Amino acid sequence: MTVLLGYAFGIAWVDALIRLLVVVLTMTVLVMLLTYLERKVVGRIQQRIGPTRTGPAGLLQPVADALKLLGKEDLMPHTADKWVYQFATIAFFVPIFLGFVVLPFAEDIGVRVGLPLGLFFVIAVSSVGIVGLLMAGLASDSKYALLGGVRAIGQMISYEIPLVLSVLAVAMMTGSLDLREIVNAQDKVPNAVWQPLGFFLYLTACTAEMARRPFDLPVSESELVGGPQVEFSGIRWSMFQLGEYANLIILSAFGSIMFLGGYAWPLAGDAAWPVQVLLSIVKTFLLILVFMWIGATFPRLRIDQLMSFAWKVLIPLTFVQIFITGLVQTYDLPDIIMTVVSGGALVLAAMVVRRNVSKTGRRPRAERVAYIRARQAARAESRPLS
Amino acid sequence: MVIEHEYETVDLNINMGPVHPATHGVFRAVLAVDGELVVDVDPVIGYMHRGGEKLSENLDYRQGIGIQDRTDYLSQMNSEQAYVMAAEKLAGIEPPPRAEWIRVLCAELNRCASHFMFLGAYGQDIGTFGTAFSYAMRERERVMDLFEELTGERMMYSYFRVGGVAWDLPAGFERKVKTLLRHVLQGVNDFEGLLSQNEVFLARTRDIGVLTGEQALDYGLTGPMLRASGVDWDLRRDEPYSVYPQLKFTVPLGQNGDCWDRYNMRIQEIKESVKLVEQCLEMLPAGPIMPDKMPRMLRLPVGEIYVRTENPRGEYGIYLVSKGGNKPYRLKMRSPCFCNLSALREMCIGEYLSDAVAIIGALDLVMGEVDR
Amino acid sequence: MIGVIKAMGTTFKTALRRPVTVQYPEIHLPLPERERAFPLLLWDHDVDEPFCTGCQACERACPVECMTVTMRDNPKQKEGTSKRRKIVDTFWIDYGRCMRCNICVEVCNFDAIAMNNTWSGIERSAYDRRDLVMDMDELMSKSMAGQVTRWTPDDGSDEK
Repeated sequence: MTVLLGYAFGIAWVDALIRLLVVVLTMTVLVMLLTYLERKVVGRIQQRIGPTRTGPAGLLQPVADALKLLGKEDLMPHTADKWVYQFATIAFFVPIFLGFVVLPFAEDIGVRVGLPLGLFFVIAVSSVGIVGLLMAGLASDSKYALLGGVRAIGQMISYEIPLVLSVLAVAMMTGSLDLREIVNAQDKVPNAVWQPLGFFLYLTACTAEMARRPFDLPVSESELVGGPQVEFSGIRWSMFQLGEYANLIILSAFGSIMFLGGYAWPLAGDAAWPVQVLLSIVKTFLLILVFMWIGATFPRLRIDQLMSFAWKVLIPLTFVQIFITGLVQTYDLPDIIMTVVSGGALVLAAMVVRRNVSKTGRRPRAERVAYIRARQAARAESRPLS
Repeated sequence: MVIEHEYETVDLNINMGPVHPATHGVFRAVLAVDGELVVDVDPVIGYMHRGGEKLSENLDYRQGIGIQDRTDYLSQMNSEQAYVMAAEKLAGIEPPPRAEWIRVLCAELNRCASHFMFLGAYGQDIGTFGTAFSYAMRERERVMDLFEELTGERMMYSYFRVGGVAWDLPAGFERKVKTLLRHVLQGVNDFEGLLSQNEVFLARTRDIGVLTGEQALDYGLTGPMLRASGVDWDLRRDEPYSVYPQLKFTVPLGQNGDCWDRYNMRIQEIKESVKLVEQCLEMLPAGPIMPDKMPRMLRLPVGEIYVRTENPRGEYGIYLVSKGGNKPYRLKMRSPCFCNLSALREMCIGEYLSDAVAIIGALDLVMGEVDR
Repeated sequence: MIGVIKAMGTTFKTALRRPVTVQYPEIHLPLPERERAFPLLLWDHDVDEPFCTGCQACERACPVECMTVTMRDNPKQKEGTSKRRKIVDTFWIDYGRCMRCNICVEVCNFDAIAMNNTWSGIERSAYDRRDLVMDMDELMSKSMAGQVTRWTPDDGSDEK
């Protein structure tokens, strides 16, 4: 659709402008819808009913929120780094929005479908947003924000790796980085069936990448009261919220494309385009619902557990997945072997993790206390009380 | 291992509170952190000091009950019980048996409500997205509805009187309590499903803030905090008051003295309280709820007395000095939270920032009681 | 991972239960008879005057000293229509101070004061705390309209 629209004008910059407009408008509307949906879903899980006051069934709640946020004063700490602080919000949500550009929602519907390096593009731009969090954390001149920013960096960089590696296994199966080709290759069986382990890893890494529970350490409300966003207010804060939910949409859509067969499965890709779009949307929302369900269920992890989970559990498992995929691809083994081994590895990993989830690289408490005492003693020695 | 720092690093002082989601009221902790490692904790209290002890000196024994409600605003019935028991013992008044049973019934229901508040707030501290909180509030609300029916108030009951209780149970109360107990058990069940065996929750609370039994005794911990460390001490059983000797219940004990044990203590105590309430309903005698001859204005003889009860948070004590007259000369409240709080530093140093939140949460602080 | 699956199952199960929310301003749940909102003065419909004689017993017993009462001679007593020699002249209750402890009701010798057990006693927010100081007209309007009467506990036990 939009592709046709752009070509109709035939002018490059009009084309680009229209595409950008489509991205921004779709994302904003979708994000508004998602904030409403999250409230309703979480409300149901908690035996509440969620928003009901604004509009029919509370549908206008996001609009009311947006208006409220627009009306709020744009506060900035006196000692904040002005430019970095103000630029941080933009640096956070623009790269996230960019990820939307290459996602195909039907055979030829999308903002810029058919990019040969589509997968690479999504991965590349989605990790740039981290910079915005770090900027916000450093510039706010608040200790909570600083800790949140540092946590965000550590977490996002760590979880970027299993995320990339788990989708890499999919790309290996298809032999292409073009998202359209990946979708079309799944017209019979979605990749999640062949690679249950990869799908699980992707979901886990995504949850961390979006900083949602149980990996919401950067924004942990009960410890850091909002992390990097703690000093932001009004419209700037809403930008963070926008970016977070946009991330949720994009990674869910991306996940549905990579693992659930996007628009192709189960109608084999020759359905009419509205049906294909509907399929993509349904799959995306299914994933979003799963993320919300996870988010409403779990407490959050501690930072060392989080990191050790990424480096000691997720990354080795992605290697397992890649290894199996490579083996099957190289020796032309039947695909079912991949399913069995991958599923087996998932169950095995679950059993191992069950027993050892609290075992991290953290030293025993006695050593930590000894370290603190030694440092205090050393400090007292070097700086005697005057 | 001591890392040799090439550059000198400074500890970050983080001011947590008095307005912070994890500090349950107006508690303030100044944390010195080295990265995520908590190096020092400096608890600052007193933001909610209302002078309850001094105020009580100017209120007669009926008016003073209101102060007890507001001291520990999550376990009002239990604190009221301590207060009226102190006055009764000093005056030599024997409350009629029905009043005693009603008191124990209310106190145990209140224990359920208080522990639900803890469970909800603790889930929130550990980081569930309000799910634990709303499960807990759901059941707590039912208990409060019941108390509203009984006493007319949702929070500040002022229901116990010196000598008995203010009103008898309303019609159909037993049936409603039985329905309520079913709901309470369902709430406990939900919590066990949601948190008790959840690996993420276990990872966050197992082996965090460990106190051995000796340490716990040294710091003067009481209540679930003490029992989590494996010290078998429950005033309801070891120094029985009211009608507790006639009731059968077990005192749950923890093994490790970590945060998970403290959480589990509350879960188990709710179950025990449910059993106690059931027994109370069975054995509730008929009869008056106040002694026949109660003076219009109670005047206590000269003397002093210390009475302690097992509150949901620990040992709540009332030290009452009377110099005659209708008002106490001095009223000292021994608040369990204040003593439990003293172990905070011992537990927090060497843990991570997130653990500090979990530890503070496990204390089940009620600042109204700490500051009084 | 068993615990994780169990937790997911628990949240799923609760999502299928009926929500417990009560849409408050639209739905007012029935209040129990013992509901203890703010105290009100009662009106003696037989003689058309308040029960209160202004004896100040409640004022003395109030723990937070939120009441002010004055007394005067009852003109109706001279006319012979009333047996009360004294009648309340002015009566103020500062609802901002009142802690709804029910003591004033317990000490009243003439059953002249009662706790409002209707929603009108609970929904009492005001923009100015001075609006919460109630004078005699406001205190008696509810009972004059017959909305609030004194209740005794249904088991007939003594309140004193």
